Amino acid sequence: MSFEINRRALINSTLATLATSAIITPEHALAGAAPGTWAMGVADTEADIPLETLRLISGRLPAAFAGTLYRNGPAKFRRGGQTSGHWFDGDGLVRRFHLADGKATLNARFVDTPKRRLEAKLNAMVQPGFGTARGQGAVLAGPDDANAANTSVMMSGGELFALHEAGSPSRLNPETLETMGFKTFRSDLKQMPFSAHPRVEPDGTVWNFGGNGKRTAIWKLKSDGRFDRLQVIDAGRQSYFHDFTMTARHIILVLQPWLHEKFVFPMSTGMAWRPEIGTQVLVLDKDDLTKRRVFELPAFSFFHLGDGWEEKDGTIRFDGCLEADPTFGQRSASALLRGEHISSPQPILKQIILHPTGTASLASTGVSAEFPSSDRRLAGSARRFTAHVTGYRQTPFPHAVALWDWKRGRDDRHDFGDHQLVEEFLLIPNGAGERDGWLIGTTLNMQAQATELHLLDARRISAGPVATWRASVPLPITFHGTFKPG
Amino acid sequence: MTNFKILIAAIALNMPALAAASGSEPAKMIVALTGIEAPTGTVMIAVFDSEAAYNGGKPIRAAAVPVSAATAQTVLEGLPAGRYAIKLFHDVDGDGKMGTNPFGMPTEPFAFSNNAAVNMGPPKWADASFEVKAGANTQTITIK
Repeated sequence: MSFEINRRALINSTLATLATSAIITPEHALAGAAPGTWAMGVADTEADIPLETLRLISGRLPAAFAGTLYRNGPAKFRRGGQTSGHWFDGDGLVRRFHLADGKATLNARFVDTPKRRLEAKLNAMVQPGFGTARGQGAVLAGPDDANAANTSVMMSGGELFALHEAGSPSRLNPETLETMGFKTFRSDLKQMPFSAHPRVEPDGTVWNFGGNGKRTAIWKLKSDGRFDRLQVIDAGRQSYFHDFTMTARHIILVLQPWLHEKFVFPMSTGMAWRPEIGTQVLVLDKDDLTKRRVFELPAFSFFHLGDGWEEKDGTIRFDGCLEADPTFGQRSASALLRGEHISSPQPILKQIILHPTGTASLASTGVSAEFPSSDRRLAGSARRFTAHVTGYRQTPFPHAVALWDWKRGRDDRHDFGDHQLVEEFLLIPNGAGERDGWLIGTTLNMQAQATELHLLDARRISAGPVATWRASVPLPITFHGTFKPG
Repeated sequence: MTNFKILIAAIALNMPALAAASGSEPAKMIVALTGIEAPTGTVMIAVFDSEAAYNGGKPIRAAAVPVSAATAQTVLEGLPAGRYAIKLFHDVDGDGKMGTNPFGMPTEPFAFSNNAAVNMGPPKWADASFEVKAGANTQTITIK
């Protein structure tokens, strides 16, 4: 029965796509092509960006500041008249912003994946993905054949990796960004998915999940980057999840009722939203993954969570950017590539509280938020602040960055304006206090048609950037980054 | 991932113990292997002579080719002329099995005749089969 329903849903969604493409309005066509619109955020980049010195637009680099911001995001969606079916399926372009000696430089390089090589050869987008169907000439002998290496970056054990949730990490040269092949942590773990959302303990120990669904692998890497262990667990339900969180002692999987009901390509067409079953939170002991507790919450959807912590009485708290349903991932993020903005429920910053009694509750800030980040020194410990992007209005992308203060219940926020699309900002500590630090991140300035790099003082977000630099080119919107001091 | 399991089952099953060459037929098949990354272990080859056998029946011949370089070769003598297809995997660790990761995906290289592409499952007979005529026939397969 469910097969029939899903098959019908699949066919219906295909028909809907055909119908949509048949009624492209001038507005849609314009949004897809015109410069100066949000469509620039999902435009194609044709080539790697050689090392360039960024132009200082305002302010200056603080004397003590030195480090490298790596960011990753899809930057090639179209070949031979075909377009990827989803924002999440374009080729990963890793960008390296290096700040030192008073100046900032940029170089960027596409991750050299089998997917990119095959599609360049065929001049067509053929490899299947989250929202992309299989095309003529697709080759799929394992997950890494479709690995777009486009979601995040990780520094571990001195190595730089480009991450994609459905496959292996890609090894990159940290300076030239040259691809050095897929990382295999152990010969029998080849092609095991290593998600784009590893969580890092203050000592550098990395935990991650791989492959969401009923069977999920839990990875642990030692603080020096060496493989420690991998265990496959039964999550209990076939949820799709893009991120997880943890406390000092626990792995926490949030099982939204967005279920993999059928394994087909595009993957998203095999996923169904079943709000009637609610959202579950699965809490596992890091030391013994068979020890588990399950908490029940009303249905919500999400992509990103913040670091969690456990209080003395056993209460667990973590934050997340929660959506009423997965419209964005299911429909809007596909439509973006067609130049269409389908509005979807805004992600709202909320705290999820797991009580020692076995019940769970939600506390909402009421603030729209995505890409949460916090002081990584406090991973697993109680903390007061969450940095996030915000200011969703006339475009599909946010226009502001903010720091939420959980104690005072308010945001300190800087709005970059309607002409700026704001990407993830990271909180980089520069003192003992949680708020003693910088926010570093990028925007796409649609007016200037250029990507910008900004540094803000975390104590005074509303004062605006301490320094802003501008690249010579506009680069499409990124997902996630990591900062390497020094 | 379920689909990858089907693929593995298709490749890993039907890899029989070595069968003896069957005698004095006129054709011989030279299987030339290239692109071998780990110059160690054995390439396990299964040869099928019909679509039915290829889709789940028994191979007509099998060979285990020791590997010590990026290329290797084996010669299968005495085959009747006709259409054949080959499934192979590189048993790098020498345990006699096609290695799989905890999700059941192959961790050892595998390939098919005509270098037919894998797409969520083994290639079809139509894509992997080739003609063997009387005399010497070379089938070059790149392992990856």
